[in-house]
Amino acid sequence: MNQTASDIPEPIERNISEDPLNDPNYKTVGEVTSPNAAMTTKNVNVHYGNKQAIFNVSLDVGKNEVLAMIGPSGCGKSTFIRCLNRMNDTIDACRIEGDIRLEGEDIYSRNMDVVLLRARVGMVFQKPNPFPKSVYDNVAYGVNLHGLSSTKSGLDDIVEDALKRAGLWDEVSDRLDQPGTGLSGGQQQRLCIARAIAISPEIILMDEPCSALDPIATAKIEELIDELSKRYSICIVTHSMQQAARVSQRTAYFHLGKLIEVGATDIIFTNPSHRLTEGYITGRFG
Amino acid sequence: MNPAALIQRGLARRYRAEKRFKAYGLTAIVCGVGFLVFLLGTTFLNGYTALLQTYIAVDISIFDSDFDGDLGPESLSKGDYPGIIKRSLREAFPEATKRREKNELYRLVSSGAQYELLEKVVENPDLVGKTTTFWLLADDEVDVYMKGRIDPAVPEKNRRLKDRSIAWIEQLRNQDRIKRSFNILFFTNGDSREPEQAGIIGAVMGSVFTILVTMLLAFPIGVAAAIYLQEFARKNRFTDLIEVNINNLAAVPSIIFGLLGLAIFLNFFHMPRSIPLVGGMVLALMTLPTIIISSRAALGAVPPSIREAALGVGASPVQTVLHHVLPLAMPGMLTGTIIGLAQALGETAPLLVIGMVAFIVDIPGSPMDPGTALPVQIYLWADSPERAFVERTSAAIMVLLLFLVAINGLIVLLRKKFERHW
Ligand SMILES: Nc1ncnc2c1ncn2[C@@H]1O[C@H](COP(=O)(O)OP(=O)(O)OP(=O)(O)O)[C@@H](O)[C@H]1O
Ligand SMILES: [Mg+2]
Repeated sequence: MNQTASDIPEPIERNISEDPLNDPNYKTVGEVTSPNAAMTTKNVNVHYGNKQAIFNVSLDVGKNEVLAMIGPSGCGKSTFIRCLNRMNDTIDACRIEGDIRLEGEDIYSRNMDVVLLRARVGMVFQKPNPFPKSVYDNVAYGVNLHGLSSTKSGLDDIVEDALKRAGLWDEVSDRLDQPGTGLSGGQQQRLCIARAIAISPEIILMDEPCSALDPIATAKIEELIDELSKRYSICIVTHSMQQAARVSQRTAYFHLGKLIEVGATDIIFTNPSHRLTEGYITGRFG
Repeated sequence: MNPAALIQRGLARRYRAEKRFKAYGLTAIVCGVGFLVFLLGTTFLNGYTALLQTYIAVDISIFDSDFDGDLGPESLSKGDYPGIIKRSLREAFPEATKRREKNELYRLVSSGAQYELLEKVVENPDLVGKTTTFWLLADDEVDVYMKGRIDPAVPEKNRRLKDRSIAWIEQLRNQDRIKRSFNILFFTNGDSREPEQAGIIGAVMGSVFTILVTMLLAFPIGVAAAIYLQEFARKNRFTDLIEVNINNLAAVPSIIFGLLGLAIFLNFFHMPRSIPLVGGMVLALMTLPTIIISSRAALGAVPPSIREAALGVGASPVQTVLHHVLPLAMPGMLTGTIIGLAQALGETAPLLVIGMVAFIVDIPGSPMDPGTALPVQIYLWADSPERAFVERTSAAIMVLLLFLVAINGLIVLLRKKFERHW
């Protein structure tokens, strides 16, 4: 490493592997655990058939924390986040090893009910995917499914509250019976967020929720994430480093299936420890 | 040379190719429509005359002596009606004296006329002791002649309707005692050996019950199998084997399914022959592959994002399929069902094998009554020597086509109901 005339300070930790990609025992830089964790993962490995997509990743999600996951395309961010609510179960070829716990409960154990898990860990996908049903039914579906409201007026309240918190109420209050697929892209994404928060999950996973949105819609969703983090824990995958910097408290940097570095967001973006992280955030690759 | 000029040079050739392609397409469509029009046209021209039937007016005198006993309903229904009709005909045409002549005279009227007369007399006993003019159902040869399909110029020995009969018919025509009216019997009678009494309703009901059984079996089973294979079954050797077999079954000739039905349903389970229930079961077997294949394609076309959305809010896999995937796949599944049912409706061979080709006069009232089906009826009539069956064959084809249109219309309506946009 060339240190002359460089404003990058010397890495604090001395045991950083220079070649994490070929080092099977690579240890993530930074504090992967969280004192107040909602979800913990330890030594997670994921294979698609013969191809390994995630290598030995451990990472905790703190309560009321916004955790951003960044990294170059194909590095396994989606794969990892989808392990957290077992969405990968739907892929036949996908094999998951390791220990993932929600409030101390192993989510891959026999006793864990996937339906309950997904109700507790909600998900917002990269592409808005509202049901081809009315705006109202989109939000009410999960609520009815889990029997969260026994009365029609209770249901109405939940739907209205969810839409309000998703910042969509003012735009759709007069067309709740119109198809949700008829909304604009940004509105659809907020509808999907409303659908996810209507069932009051403990953790919300967001996989690039703003990738198809314009700056105004993105700003609205970022505001919403801020708002939501008062109540929920949020994991967000994003390609926009500005976004990660704006909304998250912690940031995790993935590279080719390995979790390279985790740390407080402001530190990661101003003073990363690992050269790969640094390379990515300064735009040398990714 | 610059690229624009290069492109310019090739343009004329490309446009010519386009024109040629359009011309091919147009020719194909014109040919197709032409054949269709020809087929429907000849069928209609041959068949529309079956809607009319000839009747002959005969003055019929009924005497007390034609009945035994008290002229109660019992005795009235046992009267000698053939004798009454014959006597009346002899009176109308006294010139027929020889035995052969008399027999020829009797044959002007259908053998079914006596039953009509019986009904009328039982209904109205006052007719006894009076002379009344009745319109009696004419024989099929008379009917064919009246429709202009028998050429009197043909040598007498080459036709079944002899010169003497033709003279009588002309005499009746001059007296206005012969008429053609709407052929209601064609729509209310079952099959008969006598063309003038043969009707289509037996075959229609047979087809209705058969298709009903086919639909009730094949649609739910096919859709359930498709859902299981497409949404739940893990991909492995065994499911691959099933898939290959289903694809092969779709191409198996229908008569093989008939033989299978014969071996299993009739010979092994000893179910009755000739009943629409068995016919429907055999056709359901035949239709299943079509429905499964198209249903799987329809399920596969549902965007995976919908599945993820449902699973993501905590729907179980079955709920995901039933609430979201199935409604979106329904239109495609119904299209496959139309194709399968249309095929089943026109199927003859497997029904022949399980005995639905038997000559059955009674109209089936349930899937358990022996019956036949429209295509089999068409086959039977097309095979009959009587001239009058020619027009009935065409009329039966028209009924079959109407039936087909009705079923397709129903399913298109259902499909419209399920069609959604996303
Ligand atoms: N269903 C699958 N079957 C096989 N391999 C897969 C599957 N999904 C992902 N992969 C592979 O796993 C690796 C990680 O993919 P993943 O989708 O997690 O990347 P990502 O970080 O989300 O990328 P992006 O930022 O482009 O969304 C990739 O190499 C990808 O090819
Ligand atoms: Mg991704």
